Parts: sequence; structure tokens; C-alpha cells
Amino acid sequence: MSSKAENINSESPLKYFHKLSNHQRHSDSAEIFNGDVEFALVIKEAPICAHLNLRGDGADKSFTDGIAKVLGIALPTEPGTYQSCQQHSLFWLGPDEWLLVSQGNAAEIEVSLRQVLAGHIAIVDISGGQTMINLRGTDMAVQTVLKKSSVYDFAGWPGASGNAGRCAQTTFAKASAVVSNKSDGSFDLIIRRSFADYIARWLLDAGEEFGCRIEG
Amino acid sequence: MSQINRLPTGACTDSSTIINFTFNGKQLQGVAGDTLASALLANGVNVVGRSFKYSRPRGIVGHGAEEPNAIMQIGSGAATVPNLKATQVELYEGLEAASVNGWPSVNFDLMSITGWFGRLMPPGFYYKTFMYPAKLWMTYEHFIRKAAGLGSAPVQEDPDSYDKLNQHCDLLVVGAGPAGLVAAREAARAGARVIIADEQSEFGGSLLASTQRIEGQAATAWVAELVAGLNAFSNVQTLPRSTVFGYYDHNFLGILERRTDHLGISAKLGVRQRLHRVRAKQVILATGAFERPLVFAHNDIPGVMQASSVSTYVNRYGVAPGNRLVLFTTNDNAYQTAIDWHRAGRTLVAVIDSRGAPEGELVTAAKKLGIDVMAGCGVIEAQGGKRVKRALVARLNHDGSQIVGAVQKLDCDLIACSGGWSPAIHLSSHTGAKPVWDEQIVGFKPGESTQQERSVGACGGTYALSACLAEAVLAGAEAAKLAGCGDGNAHFPVSEVEEYQEQPQQALFLVPHTKSTSRAPSQFVDMQLDVSASGIELAVREGFESVEHIKRYTAMGFGTDQGKLGNINGMAILANALGQSIPETGTTIFRPSYTPTTFGAIAGRDIGALFDPERYTPVHRWHEEQGAEFEDVGQWKRSWYFPRSGESMDDAVNRECLAVRNSLGILDASTLGKIDIQGPDAAEFVTRMYSNSYLKLAPGKCRYGVMLKEDGMIFDDGVCACLADNHYLMFTTTGGAAGVLAWLELWQQTEWPDLKVYFTSVTDHWSTATISGPNARKALAKVCDDIDLSSDGFQFMDWRDGTVAGVKARVFRISFTGELSYEVNVPAQYGRPIWEALMAAGEEFDITPYGTESMHVLRAEKGFIIVGQDTDGSMTPADMNMDWVVGKNKSFSFVGKRSLERSDSVRENRKQLVGLKTIEGAQVLTEGAQVVFDAQQKIPMSMQGHVTSSYFSSNLGHSIALAVVKGGHSRMGQVVYCPMADGRIIAAEIVDSVFYDAKGERQHV
Repeated sequence: MSSKAENINSESPLKYFHKLSNHQRHSDSAEIFNGDVEFALVIKEAPICAHLNLRGDGADKSFTDGIAKVLGIALPTEPGTYQSCQQHSLFWLGPDEWLLVSQGNAAEIEVSLRQVLAGHIAIVDISGGQTMINLRGTDMAVQTVLKKSSVYDFAGWPGASGNAGRCAQTTFAKASAVVSNKSDGSFDLIIRRSFADYIARWLLDAGEEFGCRIEG
Repeated sequence: MSQINRLPTGACTDSSTIINFTFNGKQLQGVAGDTLASALLANGVNVVGRSFKYSRPRGIVGHGAEEPNAIMQIGSGAATVPNLKATQVELYEGLEAASVNGWPSVNFDLMSITGWFGRLMPPGFYYKTFMYPAKLWMTYEHFIRKAAGLGSAPVQEDPDSYDKLNQHCDLLVVGAGPAGLVAAREAARAGARVIIADEQSEFGGSLLASTQRIEGQAATAWVAELVAGLNAFSNVQTLPRSTVFGYYDHNFLGILERRTDHLGISAKLGVRQRLHRVRAKQVILATGAFERPLVFAHNDIPGVMQASSVSTYVNRYGVAPGNRLVLFTTNDNAYQTAIDWHRAGRTLVAVIDSRGAPEGELVTAAKKLGIDVMAGCGVIEAQGGKRVKRALVARLNHDGSQIVGAVQKLDCDLIACSGGWSPAIHLSSHTGAKPVWDEQIVGFKPGESTQQERSVGACGGTYALSACLAEAVLAGAEAAKLAGCGDGNAHFPVSEVEEYQEQPQQALFLVPHTKSTSRAPSQFVDMQLDVSASGIELAVREGFESVEHIKRYTAMGFGTDQGKLGNINGMAILANALGQSIPETGTTIFRPSYTPTTFGAIAGRDIGALFDPERYTPVHRWHEEQGAEFEDVGQWKRSWYFPRSGESMDDAVNRECLAVRNSLGILDASTLGKIDIQGPDAAEFVTRMYSNSYLKLAPGKCRYGVMLKEDGMIFDDGVCACLADNHYLMFTTTGGAAGVLAWLELWQQTEWPDLKVYFTSVTDHWSTATISGPNARKALAKVCDDIDLSSDGFQFMDWRDGTVAGVKARVFRISFTGELSYEVNVPAQYGRPIWEALMAAGEEFDITPYGTESMHVLRAEKGFIIVGQDTDGSMTPADMNMDWVVGKNKSFSFVGKRSLERSDSVRENRKQLVGLKTIEGAQVLTEGAQVVFDAQQKIPMSMQGHVTSSYFSSNLGHSIALAVVKGGHSRMGQVVYCPMADGRIIAAEIVDSVFYDAKGERQHV
């Protein structure tokens, strides 16, 4: 029998997290958020995409140039920043470590990168192990929930603009996350798959005072 | 009882809004803006509690955090809160308050009448009396606590929610009195992120009770304007009802915010209390000062109060806590209380001033009102039972140390005292700054800052309002500049203040009596813990000299008020008894918490399901749907066993184990730690970390390895696969994953930075389904046609990339059961679909999902160890009979190698891993049971080892166990004994640790 006969669907980490809110809805119009007084905080998991961990020497021009050539965006070398374009986002995680989140195919990106990068590098596909969730809502709700969740000073960040902003890999509740700000005022969290249910549960609890729901 | 002491107006109360509450079961009324204390005083309640040791009746003394007596149990049932100070509890409709001590009631206290109890408890009572026998201490303590009465904790689950907020700011201002408010405004204007916190319900601090005028308006109006201005800044966060309770290293401070307590205990309005964990670039302490009490005989009778507290009740709350006042002071400042009392229209009997010739402006102002001033005198004793009836007044010598005239009796029901002020240096003390004695203010000031902080206003010893404001404006601007905001220049002008010039105060810490201190009626220093002047002197006579020892011997300052009132008096009395100065004697060190902090706030939201993260595998929901029982492994929820309807755990495990050996089982092994290792030196690095070598491991091959710590003891184990040249995948134990990754990074970064290698955790990326059993190959072949699965094409300890059920997979032929096994790894988003595809493929072989329990049994049948269960950090590979895993001919050493040759590592009689086979095959040993060689010996027996793993093996039909036994490898065939907790002694034979398929033929098919 052919293995191609199978029809397999991929499953995101929060696929089975069915609780949408701790909050009692007062009306049926809970779908909208903007202007919606009921839910000041909305959590939404992004569709599955490619996540690749990149290691290399950020001071090595052939490394930075190679990445820029393949991805079409500059490798962020300023600590705690990210660069993005429609297809890719590159997050600075450390002096020699970056996270690439992409709409493309992880295996193909890895092959393209390996073709242009030489020397001591590492590229690791971790697409299955992570997911990205977006936190949007009122500034008060988003900032307060971030303050409840992490010791990092997100409120001290300048706002993101266009395709660049700040990011930090830090503690999040009793797990960890890569937190980044977006130009629309919302925040993205990149979290580990095995902790996804815990973090979803945590966010619903931490955001309860503002009205918090998960958007399917 | 009506509100007999209620005045027509109070600056912060609204007498048109009546609030009902109960005190010790009695219905009472207060008004909006009251604290529980002000409402009790308004109702003429004299006795609010009984004292700790002597059970003396006690009344309200203060008006804030310093209150030693009015300790209350608030509310009932699940939400009851013990040990709140009535002075800090805002009144709300339906509030239930009860005294925490006094039995059967505060007004009729049996402990007091019998009287013996206190007399039996001199200082050092615990040490003297209950030293022996030590085991009875628990009994004594129970009795003492019951008698002392420290409130009762709720026994039901807390219905409220709490949380924690991590805050960052340029400037944290502690205290929103005049100094704090002005400093905050200045820094806010400079653009600093400011948090200003105050423990009271309203900002304003001392000004809330002040009659002073600022910039031509009432102090409260000036405050309101300032607060409105602060709130208009978007960079200012104002936190009322928020106590900064601790100041920790690196400008980290804790704030307890009480958000809904004042609304009533059953109010379900979000978060009840919030713990702010603040990291501040700069801190301004503007915590004010506490008025010092005057220590005279029976100064604890209800009706003896602090002068500033009397003013606060009159001015702020509109309550006059008595009818006939005697004011006793050592300074000008307290004359304001006389003026306030006079204005309230109640009788002022006299002002007793210890100074010979008080002539300050306030004194003159008071005299102008016709107030009688007795200069050079002191109140030497209060008389009365449950309320002051009279004050005994006598003339004192110039320094207040002796009585020089006849004793006069003044009838009164209220004695207000002022012994000057003590700066609230608690938070400054938390930083480690050593308090400094200042003769001028007769008090300890904050010591030199050890952190980025400064004290302004009264807490820094600056008492005049105008001086406070001037200091605060500068401090605000300066702190902002240091935090990177503004130019450091003050912007706002210093407000004009109507102020009296004051004359120097007198230092008077203990008022003399006609009898000696030891014979006079008790002169109380610490009312909450019943420490008297004579107790301190007794401690000195018994040989104590250090203030820290005296504190512990007498318990002075040990109460929930931390001795905020009388501590300085106590130290001065101690200094006098030791014949030395106060600076020589020093002060005790204040520590967090400033006031008690609830456990709820400390726990925050990390409770229930959020107490610790639950990590799920991609197949977790399938296990749940199958009714699996789960086991916690680290933070992971692993499926433990899969009971079918009516099955016990033993039934399920026996069935699962048989299925694996006879046909096919499937295990979710996704939780195993997985680390991707890349770099030109990957092979060398891996070889240095494991005890065996990986230099010659070819791509496509795997090897089992053991990792040791430097001490040569087994720390983790697992399989490591060579994926390509310079590319490895390391498996770790489930619980050890994070530790192993940190271990690799540690060695690479600190010891061998020259080795080029990168590590990346891929634990979460891969979902692993292990199919194990004689039919594993047939089942896998049904969903995989691009890997040569033949026994030669894909050998034991090989891995292959391929496609399983249409998904790119990496298959490892490794085995933890001893059966033919394939570990099918796919990216986690395909974890469950592939699991289900394998279930379908295995259906004809009756594929059986098995959990960690069966996995444990199956591996124990094979004698495979589990690190952390069969080892405990004190086992070498040789102890585990695993010498074969140690590569002795590696060119470079490996971590732990040297320690394997230590004399202790190679000595005879180390505990060694063996199998135990019970003589009665049905008997299963208890894990952890001790192994002895002679069952007849007396207790304590000579313990020769212990059982590390023990199960019933359904495959073998008898129990099996692994144990570590001293010299075990040379004791094969010996019978040993395991005494059980239930008294049975089970005999077992020492056998080889491999019980099943000793030649390993089943995994090599």
C-alpha cells in the first residue's frame, strides 16, 4: 500500500483547547472586539507556520549577508529586536541565535540557507514545537496581563513601527515565551507546544478581570 | 448604643451615610469614611482586646499601622481574616469584627481574673520554663497560643482571587503625605514613570487630619488639587490602599494593594489583593513618623492614647474619643491636640508639659484659648479599670528623671501622650542602612543609603511642613534626573504654609514613679506583647546586654505592630539600665514585612490547575479520550495505564505487558528530552559528555550512553544518534531534559568554548510513538513503504528517515522493552494523526496502548535502569553493573572519569544493582524497602541495601525487583530479607538484574 494514500491534517498546539472564555457573555455580539466592551482582551492562535532556530556568528558578514539574500530581510543584530516582511520574521534571541518564523516551507528554507551559509552554523526545524499567539485589546488589558505574566518591562518598550519592533525571550507565568510588539499595539507570544494549554489557561485567568476570550 | 462621641463634622467622613456593623456580636453604627477604630471610638467602646500575657483590658491607642491593641478578626467563614488592625480597616456595611483575644469575652476575661498566668510569665518565660522536656513544647505552645489569642485562620478554601503584577518605574514614591505627593509631582513633570503608593484609603497622609492651611486653603483641599494634578499625568500610577511592605536588593520592593477589602469581604469584584513586585530605578521614602508614647505606670488602661491620634479622630473622622482630656507632652507639637480638643467643645483638664518653661508659639496659642498648662510636670500613673478615671501628676526635676513634688490627682477619661516623634525608618532599614541617632530630633534617622533611595520629610527627621515640602520638591527633581528624566531642577514652587515656630522638645523615655521601676505598677513599653520597663531592667540584671538579645528575651517589638510605638522608649530604657548612651546601645533591625502580608497575595494566581504548568504531548487528548490514567513526570502528564471497563490498575498493567511481549503495544514517548547538536566539534563534544565514545558512530546509527557528573555518579542516560557528519540528536530522560541542556551549555561555554558546537532543544518539535512487540515490523510495514524494514536492512540501533502514513518521519530502531521496537518520530503537528494511523495499522495485531507503568515493568524485566529511580546520584556505572558503557580508551577524558578511580568509587562493598526474586513469587516487595541479611536481629537492624524498583511480572508469573545491595554483585544466590511497614518480612533471593531474555535475542530479530 502507498503511504501517499493517507490524508493527514496537521494540528496546532491549541487545537484541542476548547475553553473559549472564563467570562460570562452578556450578549451575542461577542464576536467583534473593536468597540466591544465585553472583551478587552482577545487571544488568537496563528495558523501553523515554519519555525527555524538559527545559530551563527552575527559579526560574520557572509552569515548576515547570506541570510539577507535568502530571506530578503536583514538579520537583526540589535539585541531584543526583530525584523519582518510579509513572508518572514526574524527575532534576535541572543548574540548568536535567532528565530525565523515563516509562511514558507521549513525544509525548503533550510536547504536554501544551507546553500549560501558556510562555516559553523546551525539550522534546526522546530516548527512542530512552537506556536504563535496574538494578544490584542485595550492597552490597559494587554499591558496588565503582560505584567502579571512576566517580570520583563514591556511597558518600557518604544512602539513597533512597520516591520520592526522589540522582542524578548523571557519567563512567562511559569513557562517561557518570545514576546514581541506589533505596530497595531498588539503583542505576539511564541510559546512551546507542550506549554500551550497551560499558557492559554493562564491567560484566560489573568485576563478575566478585563473580559478575555480566545478567538477560534 | 448610639454614637455618643460623634462630632458634627470630620474632614473625611460623611455623617449622613450610616454604616451598620457588629463588634463582638453587638450591632453598632458608624458613618461613611470611618475606620473600624474611629467607629468603635464614636460608639464609646473602651475595651477592644485583652493583652498577650497579663490579659489586661486594652483600648485603641493609635490611628494607623502603629496600633498595638485593636487587633481584630474580620468577617466569618471562608473569607475571615485574622489579626487586622481596627485602625486600618475601612468600615463597610455589614462588617463583622471580633477581638482576637479575651475569653470568654473582652469585658469578662477569665484569664485576667485568675491572674496567675501573667505573673508566671516574666521575661524569658519560654526559655526558663519550657526548655525541658523538649517534646512537650508542642503542648505548651498550643496552650499559650490559645490563651494569648492570635486570631484564627479560615479553615475553608479562600473564595477570593489574588494576583501579582511585575512593575517597573523610574521612581517609586512610598507614602503620599505632603512630601511624597510633592516629590511625585516634580518627578512626573520631568517625564519619569512614577508609582506612588500609600497604605491609607486616601492620599494626603498627616494632612488628612491637619488644621494647617496651605496656600490659603484647607490642607485637604490642597491635597485634593495635588492628587488631581498627579492623576492627570499619564506616566503616574497612583496606588492607594497599598502598603510597601518590603524593600529588597537592587531596588526591588513589594507592595500589597488591597483592592476590594473595603467593599466588604463577600464582594466578588475581581482581584481582592494584588502584590506589586516593583523594580524601581529610584526610590523616595516619604513614610512619615510615628508619635512616641510616654511610658508611665498603667499607661495601658483604655483611654490612654497618642496625642496625634486624638487629633486625627477629632479632625479627620469627627470623633472625640472621650470627654475630659489630660494632655501629656514633651514638645510644642502636641499642643495642637489641645487646641483641636478645645475646638471640639470637650473639656480639657490640663496640659502636662515635662519641660520647665514651654514658650513656643503653639503653647502661647493654646494658653490664649484659656487652656491650663502645668509646666515641669509629668503624668506618673493612670488609674482606672476598663477606662481611665484619673491621672496622677507630679512635678519632675529638670531632666525628667525624678519626682520632686507632691502627687496630684486629675479626674479625666482620656490621657493623650506625646513623647516626640520617631521617623518611620523601617523600609530604609530593610535595605541594610544602619539607623543613626540624632540628638536634635531625639530619634533614629535613616542611615546612609545603600541603594538608589532617599528619605524625605518626617521619615528623614524633617518635621516642619514647609521644610518637608522644600526638601521633597528637590528630591523629586533629583531622583528623576538620576533615573534619566529632566535636568534635576525643581519646577514647582514650594507651597506657602501657615506654621508655628517650635521650641526644642525634651527627651523623656520613662516617666519616674514614686516607687522604683521594679515595684511601680507596670509601665508598658510594648503593649501588644506586654513588655514593661521593669522587664527590660530585669533582663539587664540577668546579664543581657545586646539590644538584639533583649528583644528576643523580652519579646519587645515581636508583635504584628513590630513595636512601632514603644521600641525607641525600650531602647532608651535599656541604654539607661546599661549606663550607656542610646547610640552605643543601638537599635534592632527592622525586617520585612512592614505590616502583615496575606498568603493569598503571595500565592497570587499560581494555584489550583495553574500551580505548576501541565505539559501535554501532542497525543494527550487521545489518551484522555481513551480513559487513560495520568502520571506526573516532571511537569509532563504522561499516560500511566489504560484501564478498560472494570479493570484495576494491576489488571490493566498485566494485560498491557503481555500484549507487548506477545504481539504489539504502542507507547507515547514524546516527553523524552531531545537535543539537536550541530557543529564541526559535535562528535568530540558528545564524546566528552558521555562515558562512552561517539567518535566512530556513523550516520544512521545510534548508541546508548550514560552521562556522569564530575563526581563520577550517573546523572542522565539515553540514546544519541548520528544524523550526519557533525550533526547529532541526543535523547535525555523526560525529567532530565532541561538539566542536560543546561549541563551541555555550561561545559561548552565555560570549559570548552573552543569546541564549535550548537545545541537546540527539539523536545517539543517531535512527537514519538513507540511500537513494540513481535509484530512491530509487520504493523509498520503497513504504513511505511520507503524504508527497508528487513532485519539486515534496518538493524537494531539504526535509524532511518522515511515516510509513515504520508508524513516525513524519522524512525529509530531502539528498544526499552527488549522487544522488536520502532520509535516513530514526526513533527508534533502530525503527532496524533500518525498515532491514530499506527493504531489502525496495528489493529489486526490487537495493538495495545500502554503507559509508563507497563513501560517500567517491561524494562525492569530486562534489567534496564531508570536514572533517578534505580540511581540516586550516588551510583557509578560500575555500581549499576554497566562497566561496558565506560569507554576507557578515549583519547580525551570525559566528565566524571577521574572520579571513577577515587578510592571510594572502587572500594569493596559499595551498593550494587542486583535483581531480587521473592521466595514466594506472588509477594511484591515495596519500593524503598530496606534489605537486611539477618531477619532475626534486633532493631535497629543493619541495613545492607534497598529496593529501587518492584513489580509483578505477568510475563514471568512472579514478582521481580531491582535493588542496590552492598557488595551485591558477589552475592548472587544469597537470600536476603525485606522488613515491610506492615510487619511482614519478605525473603528474596539475589539474582541477576536481567530477568527476561538475558541474551537479548528478542530485540535482534
